[in-house]
Amino acid sequence: MEFLQNAIDAISLGAVYALAALGIGLIFSIMRLINFAHGELIMAGGFTLYTLAGQPLLVLILAALIVTAILALGMERIAFRPLRKANPATLLIASFAVSYLVQHTVLLLYGSRAMGVPFLADLSTSLEFGGLRVPRLQLVTIGVTLLLMGGLFAFFRYSRTGLQMRAAAEDFNMARLVGVRANRVIAFAFAISGGLACMVSFYLVAQTGSVSYKMGVSMVLIAFVSSVVGGMGSIVGAALGGFLVGIISVSLQAYLPVDLRPYRDAFVFLIFILFLFWKPEGLMKTRADRERV
Amino acid sequence: MLTIDNLHVTYGNVVALRGVSLEVGEGEIVAVIGPNGAGKSTLLLTAAGLVRPRTGSVAFDGRSVASLQPEALVASGLSLVPEGRHIFGSLSVAENLALGATVRHDRAEIARDVERVLTMFPVLRDRYRQRSGKLSGGEQQMLAIGRAMLARPRLLLLDEPSLGLAPLVVEQVYAAIQELRRSGVTVLVVEQNASRALAAADRTYVLNTGVVRLTGRSDDIRGTPAFEAAYFGVQAGAAG
Repeated sequence: MEFLQNAIDAISLGAVYALAALGIGLIFSIMRLINFAHGELIMAGGFTLYTLAGQPLLVLILAALIVTAILALGMERIAFRPLRKANPATLLIASFAVSYLVQHTVLLLYGSRAMGVPFLADLSTSLEFGGLRVPRLQLVTIGVTLLLMGGLFAFFRYSRTGLQMRAAAEDFNMARLVGVRANRVIAFAFAISGGLACMVSFYLVAQTGSVSYKMGVSMVLIAFVSSVVGGMGSIVGAALGGFLVGIISVSLQAYLPVDLRPYRDAFVFLIFILFLFWKPEGLMKTRADRERV
Repeated sequence: MLTIDNLHVTYGNVVALRGVSLEVGEGEIVAVIGPNGAGKSTLLLTAAGLVRPRTGSVAFDGRSVASLQPEALVASGLSLVPEGRHIFGSLSVAENLALGATVRHDRAEIARDVERVLTMFPVLRDRYRQRSGKLSGGEQQMLAIGRAMLARPRLLLLDEPSLGLAPLVVEQVYAAIQELRRSGVTVLVVEQNASRALAAADRTYVLNTGVVRLTGRSDDIRGTPAFEAAYFGVQAGAAG
């Protein structure tokens, strides 16, 4: 029974990590950009909820989605598009710059203290299934994640734009040579990654009941680790990696000796390092590390 | 149809093309042959808009391509099958062909063209739903050409279509090129396989170390001492 309880915890945390990792992985697969400013998209979603607190739920959700999507598209247009031909290291540094810029803009506007936000508070109660106590938030998280992944899968599998994005992820220049519009698929990728970040922010705000200008930082690190575990450049891999890292975190939390539990994250990253010795290319092999034409 | 004038291209400090001029007329098959490193691929990548020249111009249909993105050039009727084929290996044959028609929206016509490609290369029909990464080299080359055909190009650029293929497959590929010409497509083909390209092309340019060393009707230059000298670079030391 305790195992089942832990399994549900693991899957719901894994689902959130998977959503975050998908946002990072999607952009990387197409642009070879590790977007550390992804965490600020998550944070922007949270602060939208804070700023509009009291509005109807639907308004909050739509507003947060719009804000994150616009911020994502803005980053691409202003910071990353001029650097598209630059090498990946330059892009990475640029993403740090964007990250700090957004963080400190929010710091200026809202201050550094974490602020309480009532959001989806009724999901904090638990459902009982014969001795099993499952917070509603976990169920909703798992449900929404599966729905989103199903939708994304269908989009990539069956839509013209989805097909173009898969082609661009595999071989960007060749995609352009068959007529795929570079700006369009990249903008699509950023808009989707903004939407995914927004979903993660809903979870974080509902779970912690607060927002702060650094709320995206640890999540983006986990998301990055997850996408590396999955295999940089593989979209499916990013999702798998997220689930795996979530499962490992919860397992360590549950089964580490009590006095070691505060150091859980150290063990998570230790396992990550060992994993990289074993499989440096990640779970799913891609051509991501191939030379760019 | 394609006019390249005094093209200079450099990669960092490496000079790839040094003043190349070349002309492809409507309905022609033109070959550019030359040894490895002659600048042949650079020439095609520049014509397709993926590499920008340092100086010189490329005009397609009389319009400069300097300001056009590769995807816009495809839409205006110029397609490149790059060296190494670059099929999307994780996607199926069907998806690769569908991507070839990215710039088009006439569904019924696209379906007819897919049918045409599958008739031309029956082996692709057998493998239509398979991952294209599992195809043999020859099959991948056919897929790459078929994919380019689906954009309905008026000018097709082919980079080393015979590279690494068995002789029989090379013949199939060149038969397809002739068939494309009959259907009104102009072809510019780049080859190391000089004899095959000379046999297929109306006119041939010999490119060596970034410079056009010789040009003329394929029948006139085949086997001549001037051709040997230009291709093998007997005088290349003196010429630079």
